[in-house]
Amino acid sequence: MLLQKLIGRNQRLDAYLDVAEFLSGLFLVGFLWTHMLFVATIIFGTKIFNKVPAILDATYISYVGIFMVIIVILLHMLVAGRKIPANLQDQLIIWRHARRLSQKDTWTWVFQVVTGISILILASIHIWAILSGWPINAQISAGRVQETFFWFYMLFLVVCEYHAGIGIYRIAVKWGWIHRQKVGKVLTVITCSIVILGLAALLIFRFVIKAGGAP
Amino acid sequence: MIRRTLTIEVFRFNPQTPDIKPYMETYTVKEVPNMTLFVALNTIREEQDPSLMFDFVCRAAICGSCAMLVNGRPRLACKTLTKTLPSHIKLLPLPVFKLIGDLSVDTGTWFRHLNLKTQAWIHTDKTFDPKAIEERMDNETALKIYEAERCIECGCCVAGCATANIRDDFLGAAGLNKIARFMVDPRDKRSDQNFFEVIGTDEGVFGCMGLMACDDNCPQELPLQMQLAFVRRRMAMTGIFGGK
Amino acid sequence: MSLFNIHLTDVLVIGAGLAGERAAVEAASFGCDVTILSLVPPRRSHSTAAQGGMQASLGNCAKGLGDNPDIHFEDTVKGSDWGCEQDVARLFVNVAPIAIRQLAFWGVPWNRVVAGKRKLPDGSIIEELKEKEGLITARAFGGTAKWRTCYTSDGTGHSVQYTMDSIVVKLGVTVHDRIEAMALIHDGERCYGAVARDLRTGELRAYVSKATVIATGGYGRIYGISTNAVINEGTGMAIAQDTGVVPLGNMEAVQFHPTGLFPVWILITEGARGDGGYLLDKNEHRFMPDYEPVKKELASRDVVSRCMIQHMRKGFGVETDMGTHLWLDIRHLGAKHIHTNLREIDNICKNFAGIDPVKELIPVRPTQHYSMGGIRTNIDGHAYGLKGLFAAGEASCWDLHGFNRLGGNSLAETIVMGLIVGEKVAEYTEGTEFVLPQRLVQDHMKKQQERIDKLIKASNNGENVYELRRKMEETLMEKVGIFRNGKDLEEAVHTLQDLLKRSQNISLRSSGKGANPELASALRLPGMIRLALSIAYGALMRTESRGSHAREDYPQRDDVNWLKRTLATWPEGNELPELSYEPVTITELPPGDRGYGEASQSGKSKE
Repeated sequence: MLLQKLIGRNQRLDAYLDVAEFLSGLFLVGFLWTHMLFVATIIFGTKIFNKVPAILDATYISYVGIFMVIIVILLHMLVAGRKIPANLQDQLIIWRHARRLSQKDTWTWVFQVVTGISILILASIHIWAILSGWPINAQISAGRVQETFFWFYMLFLVVCEYHAGIGIYRIAVKWGWIHRQKVGKVLTVITCSIVILGLAALLIFRFVIKAGGAP
Repeated sequence: MIRRTLTIEVFRFNPQTPDIKPYMETYTVKEVPNMTLFVALNTIREEQDPSLMFDFVCRAAICGSCAMLVNGRPRLACKTLTKTLPSHIKLLPLPVFKLIGDLSVDTGTWFRHLNLKTQAWIHTDKTFDPKAIEERMDNETALKIYEAERCIECGCCVAGCATANIRDDFLGAAGLNKIARFMVDPRDKRSDQNFFEVIGTDEGVFGCMGLMACDDNCPQELPLQMQLAFVRRRMAMTGIFGGK
Repeated sequence: MSLFNIHLTDVLVIGAGLAGERAAVEAASFGCDVTILSLVPPRRSHSTAAQGGMQASLGNCAKGLGDNPDIHFEDTVKGSDWGCEQDVARLFVNVAPIAIRQLAFWGVPWNRVVAGKRKLPDGSIIEELKEKEGLITARAFGGTAKWRTCYTSDGTGHSVQYTMDSIVVKLGVTVHDRIEAMALIHDGERCYGAVARDLRTGELRAYVSKATVIATGGYGRIYGISTNAVINEGTGMAIAQDTGVVPLGNMEAVQFHPTGLFPVWILITEGARGDGGYLLDKNEHRFMPDYEPVKKELASRDVVSRCMIQHMRKGFGVETDMGTHLWLDIRHLGAKHIHTNLREIDNICKNFAGIDPVKELIPVRPTQHYSMGGIRTNIDGHAYGLKGLFAAGEASCWDLHGFNRLGGNSLAETIVMGLIVGEKVAEYTEGTEFVLPQRLVQDHMKKQQERIDKLIKASNNGENVYELRRKMEETLMEKVGIFRNGKDLEEAVHTLQDLLKRSQNISLRSSGKGANPELASALRLPGMIRLALSIAYGALMRTESRGSHAREDYPQRDDVNWLKRTLATWPEGNELPELSYEPVTITELPPGDRGYGEASQSGKSKE
């Protein structure tokens, strides 16, 4: 045992951080999947769609929820991001390592870093757009999608769901007891279904719903 | 069968002559039936370049001496059949381990250090009684211990691990599997708290990012995903709720 | 010579296989400072390749009930064809159970008895006793009256070596790996350690010690076709013989294992036959019962190997481009058994021959496997000829195995002999003063440095080391194999003598600098050829058949003239080893019928 480690550091810190990564990831995947299911209610028409934010607003879940999600995203960024090499040399080592090894899971981790960083930017824009056009209803959303945001949301959808799918897969591999080939198959199906739902919702907003301002 | 001509590109560097920078040297060898890289490399040494350094011992995938990067992936060269490879083969020494020369790396020193660090021996306060019969053990337990003990310390898991490539204090799958072996052994009296002190940090189990290159490249096909997850769950419990 | 290049220690152990590490641990536990030298990291030693198991008469499993050291003793002596030292065998069988239990204490996960009824491949049913449940179990091996071979699934050597090394690490015993001992430092009376070469850098160092233990294993690789690892080149025996005063015992006793995987010569463990595997010929006929109606596939290795060769000579072998072979059949043992207890066989067949042993037959042929001969020691492991020199394991001729070793007795020997020798070494160092004979060390260092310099400077038109080596391998394989005769042996001796001369004129094709592999081979070769000559010449002189030494021109065992051990010393400048003979110690069991083998069969047919 080295002195600086013996006196200067909480022995359990790394364990706490790893568990925090696991819990924050799990929470965010849960949030993202429910979020997409809520958005996909547009398939059943604007009336049903508009009911969801109404209920969430009435019960104050959305106010607390948005705040919590932002906090957890920041936490997740910190704890998951701690594994990203801090210096360029190490980043290049990882890059060359991934290219040489050409192993799927190593590549997906590299993409996980890339998508993670993109999500930070994309999510900031998304939250700003939502909050600046509050409240949420089908007409406003359709307006956003039809004006400028269609391609933005296409990208955002794929990046988020990819990150979430790989993230939950990684959690299962690291903590679970089911063989990862099986886990991978199930999660691929789930992720694809959610992306399809999201795409359907986007297309409906783009081409079906009549845009409008706040009623 | 049409005999192929193999082009084998080999990493050359001798730390004894550091002025000569690392380079790749190309050899050509006629392929024979059931040819392994053991046969191919020895043919090169005996017939073309007697200075070529590489390690083989048992040539039967038992001793773990001959791991190297075969077309980028960590493999035991002795059991890699050339017919499973394209006709252009690129051989590099394992990363992470200290380079002795060409394809030869010092896995021995690394693993001795690992064994010291994880204190990879049975910890017991009993003394051996030569007159007594052996302590009983459930055969299932014996098999479970052996399942983890099958590791041959070849270093493939470590070489394939992204964490190990950038953190030289990381124990790797080999080290964590070793801990799992002693965790399931009833003869070892260490508590979870004892194990936590050794591997309850980013040098140990929490440094693993779960990229599973170890699991994909283990020539012994050890169930590393399961072993690592088992150790992680147990250490996380110990870290949060305190050990037994 | 600088003092920087001298390493001082109480006990120098050369070789980090099981015998070496066990001796080191024992000596260290008596408080000695121990240094181990090894060609490779200890856990890469060839001991790890021993799959089958370790004999000890625990008598826990159903087919081992009633077993005891006396029965083990009898099996061992019969197996050796009365060539072994009976006092050594007695000591060995008595200590083996303790040694096995100590390994269990240290961490070896021996397979255990599971109570209940079980059906064997031959259809018979056995019942494991409830009262024995959880104790160390055993499997059948050739030449044994009881099931006595303790094992851990398919990796006994591996798990015993890993456990032994864990104790070495725990005790903090110094290990220098990638170091090759090149010569013993001695004055003709006493051994003071060894000159060694660092295989990482090519530098020479001296290790000066009170006692030196050679545990470098066998010389399998001097034969072209061998199950041995590529590092088993007999260097330990060679440097002992090179002193000119230490004799090698019974070098003509070479074991061929019946089942080397054709044509890569990787060992298929005896466990395959022990667990019920059959040997088949080209007609898929199980032929062993024709030769050995009682023991069948489980007669001793020398007998099974000879039956296989005879059967192939009669034209029943499977002919291929690469040579003739027979089949090993384990299909009837079932997928589950093969995938757990015989997993290593499964892997080897798949990896190296592309065969699935659950569905297909395995091509096999007798392959050089073990050297019963080695550095002749007394019962304490102290070598003849030099004070302070000890030997253990396959490198030694303690003489537990005589002219044929039983499967499972060699792994047990490494541990038992290591234990005994370690204790005796500690005793010896206790009563010996440390001496650093600087002049002597310097002379030995200089001599080795000159050998290296000569090779590096040699002109380019000398002999090619790999060519000479191949010639040696072929000569031994063709003329000093399983069946031997006077004419072939004489030719082999001549060829090898010629090779020995030519080996003095090797020139390298590479620079030879640093950790150069060609230089290492060139340095080893003369010693290897001397070993080959000791084998061939000893075999030529021994005009009888005994155990693994089978002379076609002298097919009978001759107890009147040959109940004795060959000792081969090599005084400097000699062209051949000097042979002398010593009597075999017989304390309990006078020479008789082995109960299997040719002599036994012909005896029965006369009745």
